[in-house]
Amino acid sequence: MLKVENLTMVYPDGTVALRDVSFEVNEGEFLGIIGLSGSGKSTLLRCINRLLEPTEGRILWNGEDITHLDQSDLRPVRREMGMIFQNFNLVRRSSVMVNVLAGRLGYTPPSWSLINRFSAEDRQKAVQALTRVGIPDKAQNRADELSGGQQQRVGIARALMQEPKMILADEPVASLDPVLAHSILGHLEDLNQQDGITVLCSLHFLDLVQRYSTRVIGLRAGQVVFEGGKEDIRKISDERFKQIYGEEAQRLETD
Amino acid sequence: MMEPQASTKQPSSPLHAFLSFLVPGLGQLVAGRRSRGTTILLSVLILGALSVWTIAQRARFPDYGASLLIFLKIFGQTLLLLIFLMALRRLMARYIFRDAVAEAFSGYGLAVVYLILVVMLTSNIVTLAGTSLDIREVHGLTGVLAAAILSGLWLWQASDAGRVASLPEKSPDPSMTLAIILICLLIFALGYNITNVDLGKAISEIDDFSRLLPDILWPWEQAFEYDQQVVEATQRVQAPCPPGDVGPAPNEPHSTDPWLSATPTCGDLGEREIVGGFIPGTEMTLTGGNFPPGQVVEILWRNPIGNPFTPRGVGETEILVDQNGEFTSTLAIPDVVISESTAQGAQIHTIVARQSSEEVFTGNLSEEMILALQLMLETIMIGLMATFFGIVLAFPVAFLAARNIMAPIVSTLRRITGNIVGLAAGIWLAAFVTRQVSIMLGGLEAAPILIFVVLLVTVFGLGSLGFQLGGTLFARILRALSPGLQKAFITGLLAAMAAVPGYFIGLAFSRGIRSIVLGAEAAAADEMLYAYLGAGLFALLAAVYSLRRSGDEYISIGMIIYGTVRTLMNIVRSIEPIIWGIVAVIWVGLGPFAGTFALTIHTVAALGKLYSEAIESIDPGPLEALQSTGANRLQTVVYAVIPQILPPFISFTIYRWDINVRMSTILGLVGGGGIGFILIQWIRLYQWESVGIAVWLITITVATLDYVSSNIRERFV
Ligand SMILES: Nc1ncnc2c1ncn2[C@@H]1O[C@H](COP(=O)(O)OP(=O)(O)O)[C@@H](O)[C@H]1O
Ligand SMILES: [Mg+2]
Repeated sequence: MLKVENLTMVYPDGTVALRDVSFEVNEGEFLGIIGLSGSGKSTLLRCINRLLEPTEGRILWNGEDITHLDQSDLRPVRREMGMIFQNFNLVRRSSVMVNVLAGRLGYTPPSWSLINRFSAEDRQKAVQALTRVGIPDKAQNRADELSGGQQQRVGIARALMQEPKMILADEPVASLDPVLAHSILGHLEDLNQQDGITVLCSLHFLDLVQRYSTRVIGLRAGQVVFEGGKEDIRKISDERFKQIYGEEAQRLETD
Repeated sequence: MMEPQASTKQPSSPLHAFLSFLVPGLGQLVAGRRSRGTTILLSVLILGALSVWTIAQRARFPDYGASLLIFLKIFGQTLLLLIFLMALRRLMARYIFRDAVAEAFSGYGLAVVYLILVVMLTSNIVTLAGTSLDIREVHGLTGVLAAAILSGLWLWQASDAGRVASLPEKSPDPSMTLAIILICLLIFALGYNITNVDLGKAISEIDDFSRLLPDILWPWEQAFEYDQQVVEATQRVQAPCPPGDVGPAPNEPHSTDPWLSATPTCGDLGEREIVGGFIPGTEMTLTGGNFPPGQVVEILWRNPIGNPFTPRGVGETEILVDQNGEFTSTLAIPDVVISESTAQGAQIHTIVARQSSEEVFTGNLSEEMILALQLMLETIMIGLMATFFGIVLAFPVAFLAARNIMAPIVSTLRRITGNIVGLAAGIWLAAFVTRQVSIMLGGLEAAPILIFVVLLVTVFGLGSLGFQLGGTLFARILRALSPGLQKAFITGLLAAMAAVPGYFIGLAFSRGIRSIVLGAEAAAADEMLYAYLGAGLFALLAAVYSLRRSGDEYISIGMIIYGTVRTLMNIVRSIEPIIWGIVAVIWVGLGPFAGTFALTIHTVAALGKLYSEAIESIDPGPLEALQSTGANRLQTVVYAVIPQILPPFISFTIYRWDINVRMSTILGLVGGGGIGFILIQWIRLYQWESVGIAVWLITITVATLDYVSSNIRERFV
């Protein structure tokens, strides 16, 4: 479904954030991306939907090369990839409803946005999406009145509005408590299993990856240093662990 | 024993110090401290030139050569004096008093002694510096002070050169605090002179101010109309009275109307002697009747030219009328200066007896008050309209000047070329359509607003349509061509496009700068040459630019637009509204429109800057989130940018509205309409009460506005 070939990304200041990254994602997978902070996880996810322009390499989406698409041709591709963020990236002063409806912008004619118009159907969809993530009663609140966990649910609802084939999640639970983390990842798992939406999710903690992903790739300093299926993750050796997280890293024993 | 002074022990290179003594900064340059050396050289040169220029300003026609010479001589003397003092200090410290003197006479002590000496010796120094004629043409004291400080700077930098030369290489530069203090002092001394600071005058002439203060502070009598009944009777008299003349006939008592009569009606003028004495003229008996009884009659004298005054020291001028409405009194003829030129024939004066009733308050506003109110309203409207237009125009401009919005806008050269060609074609088509519509409607004069609207709509619509279409078409079609052909195509088109602005800039250069330098006619003769030169130059630049790039190279067109808009905005903003007011008055004529126009121009630039900074400081997260949903640029702006910038925008807008109303009161001074227009006239006519009304209205308006705007701002932010 998604194929990344020899992707290299150099920031304008010369930082090489990704180095010759290649991997493939199949339909229906829950792909975990692990790596220390600064290893290039965010950069990778943003290159996939072209929020950042890769320096070299190709990105194939359902066989189509989207690496050099013009902005206008990018629109139909982007709306098939929902994205959720570590900091939720909601418009804080707008209502939850408007934030969720914004997920529909890839489908609405741009000039409608000048008069703030969404179809009744879209509004219906937004209520459904909010119901699905469990906060239908918050629709009229301002986004910044919500708690962190609730804000991330709005983020998921916004992505749902896109009717995405794939969701890119950039450390969606890094700013949340462990309990909330499981609740949010549970929603993503649900989308993955019930709706068959492919999920690419970068995560900090190994145990979360072990719990939710069907496959995982490990990044270190912009390079893929590990790739494996569900079984491989479960029995990641100490040596492997150090490969991904560096020599000094200590394995945190969970239960 | 304690160490006398650690600083004197510092190693120093005499050679470098000497070099810098000859040419400021040279020692530092030679020692490899390049920026320090040039800074010193430039500072000394600039300060010296500034000093010469300042002291030359005393003459009506400054002679800079002579001033330079005088200043150099003064400078030489102060430098010698300073060197002498420093040498003296060295000697005394070494051979006589040692530590005690070194302490007291170091640093500040030396500076104080030096300054006292300089001030004491000022006139000697100046006299030595030039002939008595020369030195009257310059500001001597300022020159001496400036030269004294500059001498200090000169010696400081010489010793500094010695010091830095003996420092190890690559060590950081030592501090320049003393130099900076000296430079500030010097600039202060010169500035004090240039701005003519004169506190003495501010106090000694406070009377001039206090005389008009009451009128300005309490002008409200002038704000209303008063009714007053005046009863008046006159008697004509002749003075002086040449032999044989009898003067006008005394009035006979009238049966119903008030009357005044005098005898005799011909007499001699009073005389005022040079040493204080006064001899009254011929004494007359005044009688009058039919005045309202029990009230005071006021006696006035009206000279042959018609100017009335109250005659003093020649009799009663305020007489109580009796029960019958009659009065009798005596009055000597006062001294009246009759100028030679009018002193021909019989000089006829008029005595006036006048009874005025109390002033009756009518409750009607006076003409001045009505005018001031009308113009105040106009002022507020000018401020409002300028703010309104300013917002509408500054809003789009702000996005073009926001780095975070513009930086990501990159496009292939191919597409940009298509955009430009399409935009040009669209605008051309719009002009064509508007022209046809205008012809259909019967010319521009027939329906100017309608045609303007048509122009706006077609330019906007067809322009953006062409922009989009051209971009897409070129991106598709040119990609199919061979690279060489593609490059040739793009180069040709860009060159042709660039030639158009080049043509107009060349023309503007000729009509602007050249016609000022050469005169309008000489410039007009070959202005087309410059137009073609401009077109050629721009085409060439564009061709060179595009030849070095391939069609699918990404160009940061966003940053190019950002830079251009920012620069223009900063230029416009740095020109004060009052100057724009003068430009606008020349452009569109006197009146409120000129004021609105000028304020709008400035508002667009100022608000554009504030807005764009608000845009630059938004949280980029939501922007990124919306982009990832497939929203296009317009949609991300509407849903992610505008909600974030609304509060600061409202705040800035109100702030600007406040400024604009205050500015529009001033713009009237240059003819831009509003209350300033009449205010400056009243000031010129010394109508201080009217001035007071205007000032009060302005104050009330501004204060109210201040209150309202801070209230609104609190509510929104
Ligand atoms: N805008 C940027 N400009 C320059 N370097 C950046 C920028 N964003 C991230 N980087 C660098 O790129 C590398 C990868 O960063 P990132 O993708 O954010 O890692 P992660 O998401 O895994 O923490 C880091 O070294 C980071 O410092
Ligand atoms: Mg990250």
